[in-house]
Amino acid sequence: MPLLRSGIVRAETLVDIRGVVPRGIDGASIGAGTTLAELECAPQIPDVLREACRLAASPQLRNMGSLGGNLLQSTRCWYWRLKWPCRLHGGDECFAHEGEHREHAIFENGFCASAHPSDVAAALVALDATLHTNRRELPVSDLYHLPRADDRRTTTLEPGELLLSVELPPAERSVYLKAMERKLWAFPLVGVAAARTGGVTRVALAGVAPVPFLLQGSLEDATPLPRNAYKVDVARALVKRALAALEEST
Amino acid sequence: MPTSRRSPLLRLEVNDHVYELHAEVGTTLAEALRDDLALTGTKVACAEGHCGSCTVLVDGVPTLSCITLVHSVADAKVTTIEGLRDHQMVHAFVREDALQCGFCTPGQIVSAVALVGATPKPSTDEIRHAMAGNLCRCGAYPKIEEAIRTWQD
Repeated sequence: MPLLRSGIVRAETLVDIRGVVPRGIDGASIGAGTTLAELECAPQIPDVLREACRLAASPQLRNMGSLGGNLLQSTRCWYWRLKWPCRLHGGDECFAHEGEHREHAIFENGFCASAHPSDVAAALVALDATLHTNRRELPVSDLYHLPRADDRRTTTLEPGELLLSVELPPAERSVYLKAMERKLWAFPLVGVAAARTGGVTRVALAGVAPVPFLLQGSLEDATPLPRNAYKVDVARALVKRALAALEEST
Repeated sequence: MPTSRRSPLLRLEVNDHVYELHAEVGTTLAEALRDDLALTGTKVACAEGHCGSCTVLVDGVPTLSCITLVHSVADAKVTTIEGLRDHQMVHAFVREDALQCGFCTPGQIVSAVALVGATPKPSTDEIRHAMAGNLCRCGAYPKIEEAIRTWQD
């Protein structure tokens, strides 16, 4: 709605998709229309996803917002939201590089320094969940696309393609930790999702790159901008705490 | 009145009354409530889903009317602050003086009513968690919390 109102998104027609997008939890499959509020209190959902939903937004937004919608939300980059002619809008400059970038990306930020705001996406990347659309089945991380000069999209969803459901693999233990500007109801400065299955631990971060960021190398490889290096420290602390939480519970 | 641009009649149930109105697709629930039904108790502050002042109940669930399209709630029951005028929570806010400018108060009360509907004696943590989406720029939070904690007194 706010994107429509601000003119960033234009639509000739509005379609109510609630009739075709499943809602509810069926075993390990979650309908993309399930609300965050429904997920955060479902005992069979892994901790990392429940906690990511609980911390994702205000109570009203969690009542209204769906899993699918959360995965497809746009960046909070203020230059993009204010319609500056930035690279995501097809321009030739990332204004955050020289401008205000306290909340921006510390990884993969050379072309566009926007930060991906979805806590839920980080949780699903850590869980290595699978998405089902009306056309294909794909790992959650393949939904996202790092914007670059010849393809500035941030997702790989095609016109006419709808997210229908998410399939969760089993997770033995998982956790979500989030640093915010205030204690509740804020977008992540850094969100850390960690999940362990069969001796393998996956860690994914929200708020640190233009897409949900699967941590494969070291946090020391981050490329912070002059005024957001604090995010590296925050990420280091949260990753350490998350891994310790996974250990504790064995 | 020209009919060519008129949208189909929409049926909307608000505070146990059924209203019929013409609303363009894209009209928000807040706009319909305030501009078409003259239910101006619902306040719009940020108009983009951040502040909670426009909170109403949709089938009993706290919902931001400023980013809800009115056509999406045509089959639902909407409750606004006008429908809660006899609720004890209103008296609790008055008794505890739980407001200063009062602009956020309708939304605060709507969220609080939903909370105590599900949890009649909420703990401080439960109150803070459930009320996190209703911002008060005057900072009346301690008294809002007290009003909710003592709403049945």
